[in-house]
Amino acid sequence: MSEFALKFSHSATADTGAFKLLELPSDLSKLIESNIDSPPRHALTIKGNPDDDAVLCTADKTYTIRSVVLSNSVIVATPGEDGSFSTDGVPIGSVNVRDQLNEILELVPSIPRLHKLDALLRGKEYEGQEDDDDMYADDPANGDGKFTYEEARETLQASDDEMDRGLKKRRVLIISGELRPIAPSYLNAILELLLTHLVSLSLKYDSAPVDALCSALEDGYDVRRDVCKQVMAWFGDIIAGEWCMDKTAVVREVGLGLLRPYRDESVPLSDFLVKWRKSVGDTFEPEVSLDLLSGNHLSQIDALKEPPITVLTYFPSSQLPIDPAARFTDLFLTRPRWKADEIAPFLADIVVDAKERDKLLLKYTRAVTDAEGVWYTARAKYNG
Amino acid sequence: MTVRVNISLSPTAEDGTTFPPQLAQFGTEGLVLIELQGKLDVVGDNRGQLIGTLRIDDATKKPTLLIGHHLLEGKLVNLQKPLAVLHRHTASSSEGGSGYKLNTSADGSPLPRADQSVSWDVIAVVKRKMVFSRRPMPMVGKVSAPVSKGGTKVK
Repeated sequence: MSEFALKFSHSATADTGAFKLLELPSDLSKLIESNIDSPPRHALTIKGNPDDDAVLCTADKTYTIRSVVLSNSVIVATPGEDGSFSTDGVPIGSVNVRDQLNEILELVPSIPRLHKLDALLRGKEYEGQEDDDDMYADDPANGDGKFTYEEARETLQASDDEMDRGLKKRRVLIISGELRPIAPSYLNAILELLLTHLVSLSLKYDSAPVDALCSALEDGYDVRRDVCKQVMAWFGDIIAGEWCMDKTAVVREVGLGLLRPYRDESVPLSDFLVKWRKSVGDTFEPEVSLDLLSGNHLSQIDALKEPPITVLTYFPSSQLPIDPAARFTDLFLTRPRWKADEIAPFLADIVVDAKERDKLLLKYTRAVTDAEGVWYTARAKYNG
Repeated sequence: MTVRVNISLSPTAEDGTTFPPQLAQFGTEGLVLIELQGKLDVVGDNRGQLIGTLRIDDATKKPTLLIGHHLLEGKLVNLQKPLAVLHRHTASSSEGGSGYKLNTSADGSPLPRADQSVSWDVIAVVKRKMVFSRRPMPMVGKVSAPVSKGGTKVK
């Protein structure tokens, strides 16, 4: 029989409220335990403004923090100073009660909250060499409006990896520490220049010297060296001064650029593909495929034409509302009913996995099965 | 604003003391979680006050907690998901100066001053807890005597 004296610690006042319990998903607990031996590689960060829900970020993942209230109380106890006294001759240890807790923090995997980025970066597009370099930077009104990489790290509720990926996906340049989204037309111009120079300088697309390409674009077209390099890094890997181009990504971006003007009117699929193949040139023509643009286009049959043809319109999921309810409203305003594989690309950026997507579909849509398969339609609204 | 959570697991408590193995089996060597129904309510200053006596039977490993005339029987519970115990780490206020650059956000509106001096440490990851889930049994008479098994329970 071991005996311990349970006591309130001497630092009870300072300790109250100084402890929290955080329930760890298995991947996170592995991460933390792997840090025992080695010096901690990455600390965890809790991020959020006072009006946000807090999130916990590891180096590459984001979790929403939820507080769960317990009906029992949990005592955090640590070893006390040696209990030197004894009751019946047996020396007993002592246990210090440091704090009593009535809640546990739960972590739920979450998508990175990068949506604020779009609002924060509005009006900061970079459209090429600016004579205004002076004007933009020196104008005090604009000077305040600068949004730097460091500020983004402080403000955005996302892990560093996810933020870097988000910046890359949104095609945001970092120019002298400042975040500037690249204007789509300028990006397309650079990509087409890169493609033509690869051919004219007879370079291999999987090992092109970065310096040669940068110099060519800088001398001929006033493209800033750092801009050119960042664009190359978005569309491939730069290893030891050589650019291994991700041809699929380049072809996709060129395709997006071509589709972008067709927001309100549609373009026949065949015309579009011809134009797309021409822009990327002979070498990369085989890469062209409509699948690359999933989540960015709507295709439908124009039955008025004879024979009926498939037409495309530009419909980027990145510009749909983030809130699931609002997004479904938008989607069903665009089309009264959707096939499962058609609607999926437009939900991919608001869910963590397919399971969560199916949950949303279950909640916000009605599934109707007919000869053609499953269709999703809007749930009837009875809220007046 | 951001709050850093550092991982500083060490097998012992801050002052280097550790639990003997009988207690460490309920948590870690430096920290044990004890779950009670209700809470310990103390009037006045509780610093250093004795709460009661915690006994662990070496053979059956059953913990009992005697508070005044009340005896609680406990058990070891394995947690489904491990719990990280976070402890607030308050640095000296002189380090707070680095928070100044955060005072305005991108749109120029004032941000609440980020208190850089507060961070949290993960001091332990526990996978078990000691739970006293039953109602207390009243103990009459010899309080210090070892508890006999099968004593009457209060419903």
